[in-house]
This record gives sequence, structure tokens and C-alpha cells, in this order.
Amino acid sequence: MSQSQTASGKDKLSSLFFLIGPFILLWSFFWMVPLVGSFEQSFEVSPQSIEQPDLKEHSAWINYERTFKDTKFIKSLENTLIFVGSTVAITLLLGFFLASALFGLTKLISGICLFVLLIPSLALPGTLASLFYLFFHGKAGALNQFLIIPLGFEPINWMMDPGWILPCLILQAVWRWTGLITLLLYCGMRAIPSWQFELARLEGASGWSRLSTILYPGVKHLLFFGGIFLFVDGVAAFSGAYNLLGGSGGVLDAGLLFVTYAYQVAFPGGAGRFDLPLASAMCILVAVSTVLISWFCIHFHKQKHSQEW
Amino acid sequence: MVIRLIERFCLGFLLLLAAYPFLWMVLSSFKTNREIYNPAKLLPQSLDPFAYRLLFSGEFIDFYEVLLRSILLAGGQAILASFITAAVGFALAKGRFRGKMILTGLSLLVILYPKQAMNLSLFEWMVSMEMIGSSYGLLISGVASGLGVLFFTQVFRKIPDELMDLARVEGQSLVRSFICFLPLIKPALVTYCILHFFLCWQDHLLPLLVLGSDQLTLPLALAKLGDSSYRIPEAVGLAAGSLATIPLLVLFGLFFRHIRTALSDWVVS
Repeated sequence: MSQSQTASGKDKLSSLFFLIGPFILLWSFFWMVPLVGSFEQSFEVSPQSIEQPDLKEHSAWINYERTFKDTKFIKSLENTLIFVGSTVAITLLLGFFLASALFGLTKLISGICLFVLLIPSLALPGTLASLFYLFFHGKAGALNQFLIIPLGFEPINWMMDPGWILPCLILQAVWRWTGLITLLLYCGMRAIPSWQFELARLEGASGWSRLSTILYPGVKHLLFFGGIFLFVDGVAAFSGAYNLLGGSGGVLDAGLLFVTYAYQVAFPGGAGRFDLPLASAMCILVAVSTVLISWFCIHFHKQKHSQEW
Repeated sequence: MVIRLIERFCLGFLLLLAAYPFLWMVLSSFKTNREIYNPAKLLPQSLDPFAYRLLFSGEFIDFYEVLLRSILLAGGQAILASFITAAVGFALAKGRFRGKMILTGLSLLVILYPKQAMNLSLFEWMVSMEMIGSSYGLLISGVASGLGVLFFTQVFRKIPDELMDLARVEGQSLVRSFICFLPLIKPALVTYCILHFFLCWQDHLLPLLVLGSDQLTLPLALAKLGDSSYRIPEAVGLAAGSLATIPLLVLFGLFFRHIRTALSDWVVS
């Protein structure tokens, strides 16, 4: 009996090894080890840190100190926060509006509309950036021709005016992700039990009360999930800004996002300094903060949700 | 009634905003620079495919090779990631073992840790492992997907436990049961495979760091074609952009019903 139990235990262990092993192996090799390496590297002293006399030369935290004293890093962080906050808010609002508008249509028409809305999500960020540059941007661009000039304003030089560079990046991100968020919310609305709508119809509920008492509560968890996804993706935004601004932060660094700056610090070329320890410290700080913020949000959301039930 | 009309108008406007620039892009790949710089004009003067000829001539980039490399990289990684994360999802949903919470936590951590912030460390690690310039290294580096694990855990949770009990009574191992259950989650497998393909297809920073300048993927090629210092006609970049978008549109179009069904099921669970 005990022999058969041992044999079945061994079988279970080997089965688990085959199922989970490859993932754990790849996760350790391409995630955990580099992360530990990066953390270790963030404590190394680079030639650039020795050149700064105001910092303690052999302090283990020298790169973290330099990070907080780097005005460009602070600027890139501010830009990233504005970029992320605006992208999340606008995309979720638009996505919810579109999903609820599509929900009232037939399945075939809503399917076609969803597919059309998904086109920008499926395009490469580089394609979006080129399109943004060629189609929307410029005096003769669509934004000026169809929006700014008809409203009686002077044409805006979108990519050269520091005040408009960041809004351009936000618009590009909203344009890219709205379709995907709409698809997710639409699927969530489809999953709401039909008796709720029947009851609302029998009680003569208005469109607004249908929206606020059935559709919104039905998809609020998905809105939260979408928000977290957009938040993490926004912090990691690189390709769109890289293509649109050619790897720089634009005029007066108005469009300098965090990853672009970390890339500039880490690699030579342009403004690059080949200062990998400083870049590692920046990445660790921002990434760990992102994980903690998201984790707390998820925790509080779950707690609130469990109280509701 | 008025609200409904406003709603439809806004919907129409947003649909136009999503699709029109892409129609303009495809048509503009037949235009000269002068025509392109006047974006209010939609139709080209002639349908001369000079930009496509230039793109495939290899004068600026070897587009065939770029396209093939992108398809193999994204396709290979998507297929591997789908099966490997489905196996973990199955173990988490149906297996009985200690450490499930830790494994779920690890997967969540992979999702929440911004990928681009990870790329610098990954680059350093790949340098030390002499994997720089290797497409295979790039391919397997993105296989351990946290999103895949959480997605498939939910998918397998929907499969009745009675089926699993039956497999146990028949003396099937967990691996054998997983293989038997795979046909049941075909829509979810296809959906995740396409989603992962799409994420890998768009990856820019890691290929930029890991691959050499002679080993471009589509995002890198588009950045090169859009670089004004090379003085490449704009139509060539737009032609490449159109050709890079079409495979994904076709893939999504073919499997759109599957994707919608799988996402709806996932949302419910």
C-alpha cells in the first residue's frame, strides 16, 4: 500500500514537473535572473557617478541618489504620469461609451463596428506614429484642416510646440487602445443576464438608469482590469514615442517618457551616456513602484468587492 | 430619440476616426511625397505601385526577410507560449498541490512588472549568455507569459470537475489528462495564440537591443523607413505599414467570432 502511494506520489510529481517545469525554467532564466542582475547592477559605480563630486563616492545607493537628483528623470516621470493618467481615463470613458452604444445594435452590425474599431489596435505602433505624423500632423494635416481652422483658431504645429507634444502622444495611445477596451467591455455587457434588461424594460427604466444600474455594475470589474492593463502598458510606452520623436524627448523634452529616457541613459548615440547602473536603478524604482501601486489597487478592489457581496 | 441620434452620430464619427486614416494609408502608398503632404486628399493620382516595387527591391531593407523573421518570431513564440502557459493554467485549475498561490502570484507579477523596464536587464543578461543577435534567444525570452497562465487558469476552471474525476478513476496522469482536455479549449487556445502573436508582432525595444542592424523585425524596419535621414519616399514606409497591418487584420477577421466567444466566456468566469 505504502509502495503504491509512493509510486503515485512520484507520478504526480513528474506530471507536475512536465506541466509547470518549462514555465518555471523560462521564468527563472528570462525574468528572475535578469531582474536580480539588474538590482545588483544598480549598486555598481559607473564612471559618470565618480564625476559627480557632490555625491558620496562609495555609497551603495549612489545610483538611486543620482536618480532623484536627475532633473531629466523627474521630468520624464512627470510626463509619464500625465500620459498614463490621461490615457487610462480617456480610453476607459470612450471604451465604455462605445461598448454601450454597440450593445444596442444587432450582433452582425456590432461585430463589424468592433472589427473596424480594432484596426488601430492591430497596427504596429510605428505605423500609428507614421500615420499620426503624416495624416494628422502639419499645417495641412487633418487635425488642423478639420478641427482647428474651422473653429477659427490658428493652425497648431503639433510636434514642434512643447505644449502639444504630450497631448499628441496621449491621442495616439487613446486611438490605439480604445478598440481593444471596447471589445472587452462589449463582451462583458453581453455576459450580463438578459432578465436584468427585461426587468428594466418592464419597469420603464430610462436609458440613463439602464446604463448606471445594469451596464456599469456589470462591467466595472472589466473597467478596473482594463485600467490596470493600460496603466502598466502606459508606464512601459516606448515604440509610439520613439517613432514619433525619433528617440528624443521632443522640443524641451516635452514628450520625454520614462522608458525613452532610460534607453537614452543606457545606450550611446544621441544623448546616450552608456550608464547602465543608473538606468538599472531608474528601471527598478519605476517598475517596483508600478507593481506596488497595481498590487494595492487590486487588493483594495478585491476587498471592496468582497464587502459588497 | 435625440440622445440615441447623438449616440449614433458619435459612434459613426469614432468609427470614421478609427478606419479612415488606414484607408488613407493604403491609398497613400501609391502617392508621391507631394500628394502625401496634402492629407485632405484621399485618392492618388495614379495607382502606380512604385513604392511596393522599391520596398521589395531590397534597396532600403530586405522586406521579404523582415516579414519572414517577424512571422516566425511572433508565430513561434505564440505557439510555444500558448501550450506552455496552458499547461500551467491546467495545473493551477485542476491539479492538487502546494504552492498554487505562489505560482499565481508569480504570474501576476510578470503581468504587473512593466515589460520595457525589464528589457534593459534582459539585454544585459543575454549579453552575458552570448545570446545577442540570436533570433532563437529572442523567441524563447517571451514565452513565460503571466497573462497566458491567468487566462488558461480561468478557461480550465470552467471545465467540469467530474471530467477530471473520471480521468483520475481511469488512472490517467495529469499530463495525459491535459492532452485529452486540449481539444475542449480550442477556441481559447486559438484566441490566446492570436493575442500573443499580436503582442510579439508589436514588440520594439527588445528586438532593437538584441538583434543586429542586419536582423530587422517589422517595427524596427518601419522605424528605419520612417527615418528622414535615409531620404526614403514616404510611400515606401506607408506601403510597409499597410503590409504589416494586413496579416493581423486577416488573422483577426478569420478568427474574430472565436475571439469574441472566448473573451465572453473568460469575462463570465
